[in-house]
Amino acid sequence: MNAKTESYVLFELAGSVYGIPSVAVKHIEMFEHVTLVPNANPAIDGVVFSRGQVIPALNLRVRFGFPREKNSLRTRIVFATVHNRTVGLIVDTAREFQNLPTESIGPIEGTLTGINGKYLKAVTKVGGRLVLILDLEGVLNVDDVQLPPETETTPTEQLTT
Amino acid sequence: MAKINPTSPRTPKNKSPNIDAGANGGSSNDILEIVSRVTTGLEEENTGLDSITSETNELASSLKETATQAASVAASSEEMASSANEIAASVEQVTANVTQVATSATQTTVSVKELASSIKNVAASAQEMATSGQEIRTAMEEVTSSVKSVRRDTDDLASSIAENAAAIEEMGQSIKNVSRSSEDLAVAAEETSSSINEMAASIEEVGGMSETLSTSVEETATSIEELARSIQSVAQNSETIKQVSADAATNAAQMEQASRSVNGLVKRTEDIAVRVSRQAEEGGQTIQKSIEGIAKVAGTMTQSTTVMRELNKRTRDISGIVSTIEVITERTNLLSLNASIEAARAGEAGRGFAVVAEEIRNLADRCAKATAEIVEIVRGLEDATKEATDVANSGARIAEESSQLSQAGLTGLKTILTGITESSSLVSQISRASDEQIVAVRKVNDSISTVTGRAREIAVSTSEQAKGAQQIVQAAAQMRKGAKEVSQANNEQAKAAREVIKAAQTTTSVAAQVRKAMTEQANGATQIVQAIDSMRKGATGTARSLAEQSIAIEQVAKETDRLITQFTGLTKAMIEQAKNSQEITAATSDLDQQTREASRAMKEQVVSFKQLTEGSANVTKQVKLIAAANLENSRSTMTILKRIQEVRDVSKQNGEAAKGIERILEKTSARAASPKSRKGSRNGGASNPDRGASA
Repeated sequence: MNAKTESYVLFELAGSVYGIPSVAVKHIEMFEHVTLVPNANPAIDGVVFSRGQVIPALNLRVRFGFPREKNSLRTRIVFATVHNRTVGLIVDTAREFQNLPTESIGPIEGTLTGINGKYLKAVTKVGGRLVLILDLEGVLNVDDVQLPPETETTPTEQLTT
Repeated sequence: MAKINPTSPRTPKNKSPNIDAGANGGSSNDILEIVSRVTTGLEEENTGLDSITSETNELASSLKETATQAASVAASSEEMASSANEIAASVEQVTANVTQVATSATQTTVSVKELASSIKNVAASAQEMATSGQEIRTAMEEVTSSVKSVRRDTDDLASSIAENAAAIEEMGQSIKNVSRSSEDLAVAAEETSSSINEMAASIEEVGGMSETLSTSVEETATSIEELARSIQSVAQNSETIKQVSADAATNAAQMEQASRSVNGLVKRTEDIAVRVSRQAEEGGQTIQKSIEGIAKVAGTMTQSTTVMRELNKRTRDISGIVSTIEVITERTNLLSLNASIEAARAGEAGRGFAVVAEEIRNLADRCAKATAEIVEIVRGLEDATKEATDVANSGARIAEESSQLSQAGLTGLKTILTGITESSSLVSQISRASDEQIVAVRKVNDSISTVTGRAREIAVSTSEQAKGAQQIVQAAAQMRKGAKEVSQANNEQAKAAREVIKAAQTTTSVAAQVRKAMTEQANGATQIVQAIDSMRKGATGTARSLAEQSIAIEQVAKETDRLITQFTGLTKAMIEQAKNSQEITAATSDLDQQTREASRAMKEQVVSFKQLTEGSANVTKQVKLIAAANLENSRSTMTILKRIQEVRDVSKQNGEAAKGIERILEKTSARAASPKSRKGSRNGGASNPDRGASA
């Protein structure tokens, strides 16, 4: 195609559709089991074992200030890698893969910034639906997020891997 | 009278028992008849009394004559007694004459005995006695003449003897007559007394009977009145019965109608009961059917419930399968997404793969959609099945309940059916009973109409009876009055009869005394007669005349007896007569003694007479002496005559007494006539026929 396109993985959270670039996504798994870790950030449900790695599972509902939802068959854990750090994002569901034109991904209007500009990169429309493109670095900011000690877990996971 | 007497005292006896309630009218008529008969009897009696009175007068006169004769005889006897002594003395001097006298006396005795026997049957008539005395006297004269023919010198003596003998004989005969008559009197008095007693008794009886009669008449009258009252009440009752039976007839007619209507109602009820019974049976069958249907429904419900359960299970299975499909779909989607991610990483090389992944992801999405729809449908199916199961369960329950209810309805219907059967049988019984009732009511109706007719007849006859009873009551009242009068008359009669009885009793006692005295007299007289018999010679003519005399005397005696029996007052006179007779007796007893002595002297005379034949020379002188003695004899005859005169006076008194008796009789007859009773008059005549028979 002539125009530059970028592939996105779309997922749902609290009725809204979010998109993250498929490049950042290692793979997606069904939510099966989370091992609880002590003294963890409230948004961190625990750790999951995926493809030989122990990865922290971040509940995006809790991260975005939405009420928790019971896990179901549709609940997914989207493993995303930012700055060589992989985090499992627990979302309501993730089942679409979309190639979106680059120019359609514009910056968020000034009005929107006031709301949640820290975690959103852009907002686009797909087939009449609004899709919120997440700023993964912002979402995965450890300090901000108060992530569980990745370093501690990473070596153990690395060891096990 | 003679006809009435024997029958009449018995008549009331015969009558009184016949007097009962039924024959009252007849008995009063009988009484009236008897009273009238008594009245005629009294009249006859009065005429008889009149004749008796006349006869008594005749008797009185004859008695007077007899008295004179007796007086003369007595005097002559007394004189004779004294002269007999003298004769006895003189007879010693006239033996031859006396012998003849003795033979003649013997003849006289024979003739006198005959006379005595004839006198025994005959009461002496004074007049006849006088004539016989005269005949005797003539006989004596004949004797005297015969004596004269034997001894002329003794003619005077013989005549005087004859006279004396005649006088003595007369005296004796008169005494005998008196004795006889007194005996008869006594007998008659006794008979009278007894007949009076009988009469009195019969009067008492009649009195008692008339009392009884009057009481029985009273009772009869009261009973008749009661009868009349009861008949009247019966009449009223029968009237009531008539009305009642008429009411009963109307009632019975109403009853018949009522029972007929009842019968109709019962028949209709029977029909209805039969119909109801049939309907109830049909209802029972219907309910049975519905019970069966309900049971089937219940079975079906149970079956459908099990089917629903099965369906539920299957639906759950489907749900499980669908969830499996869902999981698979999700995984497929996930796989295709990961494949797309991988293909994008591969760049141009992975472009075809990305398309396949895309295709797979679309299929998986469609599959997920279909699965969601299936889930939806299964969920709806599950709900529907659940509802159906619930409905089936409740239907089964309802079916069970309706089955039970139907069962209850069936049993109820069965009970109704048995009740209807019972009531139907009862109704048929009632129908039969009401049929019988109708027949019975018809019979009752018939009998009531008969009763009504009878009651009407009874009412009519009872009212007639009541009328008749009223008449009977009136007749009974009259009868009662008559009975009372009869009773009063009887009482008066009884009173009179009592007086008569008293008098008769006195008469009887006096007559008994007289009889006793007369018997003694008769004995004396017989002895005198015996003495005189020897003196009597050729006195056969005297006997003949005496026989005639005796017949006359018998008549007199009859009359006298009648008089005696009829009049109680005669007794007093007879007492006086008896006194006189006693005097005569006394005189005669002297005579008797003298005559005995004369007899003895006569025997001596017989001896003397033999001596007299030897010494007849002394006769003449002695005849002179006899003449002197004859003078004395005549004197003594005079005294006898005087005495006879006294006797005649006494007879006169008797006649007066007889008149007094007559008066009493008249009074009695008047009394007897006034209450129309026959009793008082009858007793007088009662003895008369007896007297005649005895005479």
